[in-house]
Amino acid sequence: MMIKEVITVILLVVGCFFFLAGTLGVLRFPDLFSRLHALTKADNLGLGFIAAGMALHIGSPWAVLKIFSIWFFTLLASSTSCYLIARFQKEKDQARNRKEEG
Amino acid sequence: MSIMIDIILAVLAIYLALQCLFAPRLTQTVFLFFAFGLALALAWVRLGAVDVAITEAAIASGFLGVLFLDALRDFSLAPPLKWDNLEVVHSSLATKNPKSLFLPRLALMLGLGLFLLIALEAVWKIPEGGGLTAAAEALLPESGVEHPVTAVLLNFRAYDTWLELGVILLGLLATFAVGGIKIYRKPPVVADDILLRQVILFFTPVLFLFGAFLLYFGKSGPGGAFQAAVLWGAIGILLHLGGRPVFSMIPRWLGQLSLTVGLGFFLILGFFLLAGGATLFEYPPAYAGVLILIIETLAAISIAAALTAIFANLNQMNKEESNQIESTN
Amino acid sequence: METYQIYSLTSAVLFVIGMGGVFVSRHFIKKIIATIIMGGGVFLVFVSLAERDALTFADPVPHALVITGIVVAVASAAFALALARRIYQLTGEESFTNDK
Repeated sequence: MMIKEVITVILLVVGCFFFLAGTLGVLRFPDLFSRLHALTKADNLGLGFIAAGMALHIGSPWAVLKIFSIWFFTLLASSTSCYLIARFQKEKDQARNRKEEG
Repeated sequence: MSIMIDIILAVLAIYLALQCLFAPRLTQTVFLFFAFGLALALAWVRLGAVDVAITEAAIASGFLGVLFLDALRDFSLAPPLKWDNLEVVHSSLATKNPKSLFLPRLALMLGLGLFLLIALEAVWKIPEGGGLTAAAEALLPESGVEHPVTAVLLNFRAYDTWLELGVILLGLLATFAVGGIKIYRKPPVVADDILLRQVILFFTPVLFLFGAFLLYFGKSGPGGAFQAAVLWGAIGILLHLGGRPVFSMIPRWLGQLSLTVGLGFFLILGFFLLAGGATLFEYPPAYAGVLILIIETLAAISIAAALTAIFANLNQMNKEESNQIESTN
Repeated sequence: METYQIYSLTSAVLFVIGMGGVFVSRHFIKKIIATIIMGGGVFLVFVSLAERDALTFADPVPHALVITGIVVAVASAAFALALARRIYQLTGEESFTNDK
């Protein structure tokens, strides 16, 4: 029983650490692409750790399924929106470069 | 310990509200508004109002935030149409003596400070009335559902919910009146992106299923018509953004039917209940559960259609004219 | 200090922040957001009082009122946004000016 709680706490702390790192990256990185990188990668990993910790804490199989489907959908949505934002920025940059050249 | 979380959340909400209003750029304002809505949603969870939390996160933060984001395309990305106007504004600002703004600002700050003190005192001293919890608890077995909030929304105070459907429809009609009816129009073809298309194809059934789950779950726990409606409305918004606007794809009568069916069913039901000698929306207890489920489903369809239509109309609003201006230039 | 007291005091602060925002901010979108923040303050009073009057569950009537209120606030904000965008489209102005 004790070991389970210790592992839960460790997982939650690791998850929070990745969230912190991701937030730091968003605040500190210079341009949009590296910020997106920090936001989507670090935060999704952090969310995964927190989901694992909560799943271990609750322990009932249906709740575990729900928690991990939340993680899965967040992964899908955030990676897609990251891709779309990056594409928008790239198209804008390309249009500006073309204008400067022409 | 748990009170520390509440204090941190309260400070966070106030900080985000201030940052939101005083952020230098409009984009920051909109994104901080999302964050403020989520902080408020956490506050609702702390206060035990999970229904309100879902509604706040989904409609007030999510849907409204999307509308603001869409408006940003107009306001900050497009160049202003008339440069003369801007010059007028700038020159008037420059000629105004900065000192002349000092007194009004001081008065405003004093007034707001005074109002804050009064409001704090008033909130602190709201008398204990006992509320309506006991009454709701006593009548819950007759309502046909097990979740008290759903019972209040769709049985005890069904009148409010009925008129609320009317208000949403009115909001849609008002945007029609301001910007013209543009929901039936096909948007200019967007570049077909294979990733976006696959994700929309994946999320459409998932969102539909999740909305249906929330709708049915509202009988016994947090959830219900509004929360389901936002998820279904999100399908409409996703499809619109993917270049497949729902209202231009289905026949017109079906669109109009889906917009009005919630309001209409309430009206017909109320009429028959009145004709049968009961008061308005006094459901017979034996059928209350079934009736509430039907009403919730139809109301969710109507709200989802209205949210989709509001987004579609606002999204299409300034598009065609700006294209015309570009082509004439 | 009880939980509901923290949030009801917060609600008063939020309401005043929103009210100040309505006066001070110039841009239409900021004004609309300020009114939403004001509304958030009002909803917070309702829900915190519902928590105070809790028996086996929190008072459901304020919860239902707040859910209704949020949706109505969103509908009216959407209308305000439509007006703002239309004004911008027709005049190119982003805020109310007195210089006309």
